Amino acid sequence: MRLVLALASLRRNRARTILAVCGVAIAAAMLLDMVMLSTGMRESFRQLLLSRGFQIRLTPRGTLPFDTEASIADASAVTAKLRARHEIDLVSPVLGASVHVLRGDSSITTFALGVDPTSQGDYQLAAGRDATDPGSLVANEDFLRATGARIGDTLRVAAGFDPQLRTHSGERALVVSGRAKFLYLASGQLAVAIPLHTLQQMTGAAREDRVSLFMVRLRNASTIDEVKHWMRTALPTIDVISTADAMARVDERLGYFRQLSAILGAVSLVVGFLLVTTLVTVSVNERVGEIVVMRAIGVSRAHVVQQIVLEGTALSVTGAVLGTGLGLITARYLNTILSRFPGLPAAIDFFLFQPRAAWTAIGLLTACGVLAGLYPAWRAASLPLASTLREEAVA
Amino acid sequence: MVALLLALQLRTITVDQRLAADAHVRVGDTVVVSAAPGTGGDSVIIAAIIGRRADPSEIARSDYRVHLHLDQLQRLIGYGDRVDRFAVSTHGDSAADSAVRAINDAAFGFRAYRSRDIAIETSETFAVVSRFHRAIGVITIVASAVFLLCILLLKVDERRRDVAALRLLGISRRSVMLTVVLEAAFVSVIGSGVGVAIGWVTSLAVNWHYQARYQTPLRFALVTGDIVLFAVTLSLVLGIVAGALAARRLVRTHPLVLLGR
Repeated sequence: MRLVLALASLRRNRARTILAVCGVAIAAAMLLDMVMLSTGMRESFRQLLLSRGFQIRLTPRGTLPFDTEASIADASAVTAKLRARHEIDLVSPVLGASVHVLRGDSSITTFALGVDPTSQGDYQLAAGRDATDPGSLVANEDFLRATGARIGDTLRVAAGFDPQLRTHSGERALVVSGRAKFLYLASGQLAVAIPLHTLQQMTGAAREDRVSLFMVRLRNASTIDEVKHWMRTALPTIDVISTADAMARVDERLGYFRQLSAILGAVSLVVGFLLVTTLVTVSVNERVGEIVVMRAIGVSRAHVVQQIVLEGTALSVTGAVLGTGLGLITARYLNTILSRFPGLPAAIDFFLFQPRAAWTAIGLLTACGVLAGLYPAWRAASLPLASTLREEAVA
Repeated sequence: MVALLLALQLRTITVDQRLAADAHVRVGDTVVVSAAPGTGGDSVIIAAIIGRRADPSEIARSDYRVHLHLDQLQRLIGYGDRVDRFAVSTHGDSAADSAVRAINDAAFGFRAYRSRDIAIETSETFAVVSRFHRAIGVITIVASAVFLLCILLLKVDERRRDVAALRLLGISRRSVMLTVVLEAAFVSVIGSGVGVAIGWVTSLAVNWHYQARYQTPLRFALVTGDIVLFAVTLSLVLGIVAGALAARRLVRTHPLVLLGR
């Protein structure tokens, strides 16, 4: 009964109600987008880091993975030291370098990862065989498209280029053994994975027995602090970065987006709240006579309050539900814009949909709708009956 | 005396403010710089502490910055007589074009680029952020427009009894409509004025916060004349449209109906 009366009241001023629902829907869409932005980016990055189960990255002191050309010396000794620890399940040494695929007089430059195919965590093989043979490589789709190469083709690959003499060094013939999806690279980035020793040999003395980073997987994630402590003591020239440390650094670098999402989310909530409050207040002011008559014929105060609060709630819930759909569309559009950040891994989503985000947005707006209706409802239900009836009659 | 003689032989470096703060070093301090952690290096004197430039490309960078004499850095990192790039100053834009052409015609093993082209290439991050801001701005403007329309429709709707009284007194529909529209326009202009003031104060707070956070003189939020003009015009147009729509409906309704009779 109360709901029927509330809906009838909203239907009475159709244009006003539609506008208010539109306003709440846009506020809800913005709120959902901002909740998705604040939590999604972080969650997406965390999922990416843990996608292959490696909890720790070791990099040259003071650097992030592939942030600079710095490398770790004595890679074999470090690998052996790491593998000797019983808490460590898998160690994946990785060397990053630029290589040139020679095609007649020209060449195509691509990013190369030197990996141990049996322990690597940088790519997922999509077709063909892994690069287990020293004279083979696996490449991503973008590389194969750019070079026109296919699985089974042999490519001439050089690791160095002297711009003054215009000559290549460290040249090798490598067979494309497979196609892979590289997890941490930007979309459109050309990439190949080459056996670590092959790439080290190609890059010459400068990279002999050196790697850019180690990825480490633990048998038991709860031992991470203990292992980190040991690593910092045993390997003083290396930075130990756990997933939590990496997340903290990402938070620091992309903190701007989290702050922006918090501010815009709060503004959306305030706009939704103000809109519903204004509408319900005006609606109540217009119906003072009607409300007082209801009270005079015996309708309880609680009944009046509930009816008015229901009006605000109905506006908010309808707007929030419509806004959820709108928010998902705008989030997709905004994600397309931000995914063009140079160097950002293609797998990162700034606006990651999580059911919790949608429920948070709808819940917050519904709570606002209830709160927005409370004050005008209480004021209307508390009007003195006799004097208000007289004023309404005179008016 | 020995310290003075030693200091005279030491070369100087500059460090950025963040490094100076984090490492607790001051001008005049002697530090050791080396190519790799734990390896031997050169003792140098900090000659100056430098602030960051208003350069957007440096905002997200958390690395420290040190300036050394070129020959000293080349020796420290075993770089030989090599450099990564040269910066060339020319007399005006046309001179820059001809200089780039001349260098590239004669160059062997390197290329010349205009600073503007490099800036475009390296500012892709900021172009993305700018596009994101624009998209958010459009959504905000649509939300504000709906909010404004709703509020102004309600405001005009509240005047139904006044409008009925004016009509019963013989005031023409045109005059009543004009009055209501003018009132809505006035409310819009006053509201947008208050909004501009709030926006200006907010921009001060935003600049203060982010300049402190990123230690840069860069201004993050700007309230320009164009932005103010756009906000006031949009608000005014929406006010007039909302006022006209609501007033049209009111003046078409019989005054006695407006009074509830």
